[in-house]
Amino acid sequence: MSGLQDLVAGLTMVMTPGMLFHAAWSTLLGIVVGSLPGLTATMGVALMTTLTYSLESEAAILVLICMYVGAIYGGSRSAILLNIPGTPASAATSLDGYPLARAGRAGYAMGLATVGSALGTLAGIVMLVMIAPPLAEAALNFGSFEFFWLAVFGILISGQLTADTTPLKGYIAGILGLMAAMIGSEGIHAHVRFSMGISDLNAGIALIPAMVGAFGFAEVLTAMWNKAGVLAVAKDKSDRTIPEFHDLWRYRVTILRSGVIGTLVGIIPGVGEDIGAWGSYAAAKRASKEADKFGTGSHEGLIAAETGNSAVVPGSLIPAITLAVPGSASSAVLIAALFIHGIRPGPLIMIEQPHFVGLIGAMLVVATLFMAIYGLSMTRLFIQVLRVPYAYLMPVVFVLCVIGTYALSQRLFDVWVMVAFGLIGFVLRQMKYPMAPLVLGIILGDLLDKSLRRGLTLTDGDLLPFFMRPVSAIFVALIVLSILFNVPPFRRAVTAPLRRIGRRRDA
Amino acid sequence: MLMAKADRYTAVALLALGAAMLAGGWTMDRLEIRQIHPASIPGLVPMILGGLLAVCAGLLFRASYADAKRGPEAIMVGGSWSRLGITTATCLVYALVLIGWASYFWATAIFTAVFALLFSYPAGGSSREKAIAVAGAVMLGFGIGFGSALLFERLFLVRLP
Repeated sequence: MSGLQDLVAGLTMVMTPGMLFHAAWSTLLGIVVGSLPGLTATMGVALMTTLTYSLESEAAILVLICMYVGAIYGGSRSAILLNIPGTPASAATSLDGYPLARAGRAGYAMGLATVGSALGTLAGIVMLVMIAPPLAEAALNFGSFEFFWLAVFGILISGQLTADTTPLKGYIAGILGLMAAMIGSEGIHAHVRFSMGISDLNAGIALIPAMVGAFGFAEVLTAMWNKAGVLAVAKDKSDRTIPEFHDLWRYRVTILRSGVIGTLVGIIPGVGEDIGAWGSYAAAKRASKEADKFGTGSHEGLIAAETGNSAVVPGSLIPAITLAVPGSASSAVLIAALFIHGIRPGPLIMIEQPHFVGLIGAMLVVATLFMAIYGLSMTRLFIQVLRVPYAYLMPVVFVLCVIGTYALSQRLFDVWVMVAFGLIGFVLRQMKYPMAPLVLGIILGDLLDKSLRRGLTLTDGDLLPFFMRPVSAIFVALIVLSILFNVPPFRRAVTAPLRRIGRRRDA
Repeated sequence: MLMAKADRYTAVALLALGAAMLAGGWTMDRLEIRQIHPASIPGLVPMILGGLLAVCAGLLFRASYADAKRGPEAIMVGGSWSRLGITTATCLVYALVLIGWASYFWATAIFTAVFALLFSYPAGGSSREKAIAVAGAVMLGFGIGFGSALLFERLFLVRLP
């Protein structure tokens, strides 16, 4: 129960006028960013990191978390009104949200999305404060061997689950990220690798310019390339923003299940909110008595998707805080931001700052509170936000990409890195390469490299301990299984018993 | 372009990159002079990654033929090439040329105004509409230039380029 006590203690720290002011503006900005198609939560958090250098560390982290929570929720606005997810996390929301909006029930759809998101985040927060402390303590026993496999597992599973078409493209994106991390001075002997004589590359590729490029500039290009959506503005007289209680009570199991699925998906490294939403949506559809209504304006489907994607936010922070392994692309930026503000995420967090998890939980509670208030009271404002023309919006976003990146170390080289990652990111996206494994590769490259070589040095080149230590063996088994799962005969053999059970239940 | 064809070109490029990484790792200084453990040479992980990328490139090349049989999936369709071209050109000129050459305020004001004007100018509109578009773009340019310079220089104490 100490996790919940830390949460209460964290709330007393966050409930000050100054902190509430920061939470209020940053959550609102997050919702606006998330609701605009082309601007994602990761981009919002990356840009906001560059704008919070001068803030106190607690205030800066609060701003970033509010931006993250707000943006993931904000994506539902355009998913419902435009049928274009504001962020990839809201793709499942549009399936039932847009049909509701077309039927004149946009307000009710947004109300359901708001309550679903709030409940999903709260479910995730409870799991965060309960799971993170024991996980951090368990991770204290991790050595180089375990950290090596953890990094491999993270990149592999992220590549597998986030790839649109084939996992191969996810793996390639992960390897490219790892290769980018090999540039610059390595962590054991301080030998400079692949700098090609460019002194600016001696320190390696910084994460923030790479992220701002891959998620900021690439999104500006994608937004200008795509055609604009059609706003669903029909309004039914019976439409209302506050959801009916019996509607929520009826779907209590769906909400609980989606909250748990979302949080668990969040814990898996580099997977992210969209998978949380799709996983929850698919589970709800499979268990629902009204499965035929899914995709045509189902309240249950909408709630499942929104609860699922929002629960990923606290879930993704569990490995980010305790292992320094991000659960999503946005939490990867958060890790970088924590380092900038002098906080060292990883297993030692519970020793160095034992109340930090509770504080993060409290920040998430405050962000959820503001999200619910704005979501239920400012429906009209968000419809107006969607009318802002890209001609005015995108140059502003790009200016922030440039000056935000420059401000990090005040050197133009970072701007060039941002531009390069933006162009590469745009092309890779068009070719269906996921960005999350790429980012995860950049952030985990150093850990993987150091852990492998340190482990080999400790064992005098013997590979056996990498496979024989208990936790390492579990990771190896998971890695082998997840690779084998891509082989059709193996997959069929494993899933055959499950399919038989499903057929028997249907009969 | 068809996805299968694009994948084939990409596979070749990735194979070259993987081979280069492998060779780079192999020929990298092994720091014998510092008597480091041979298992901790700096080129070890780059060699492994280069090899893995080359393998993945081979698999991608092979899979592209299977994908081609499944149906023609195209890339870069359904969007506007002219909008993409103009956006890329203006952004690159701003980030790579104007920043560092002109003062930050003027570079940003010019970029923002030109970008907004290029995408909002009503070519077939009345003179009044055109004047409004020009005035709006110029105001946005000066506003963003001044506002962002003020924010970063005065509040965040950044020495602007």
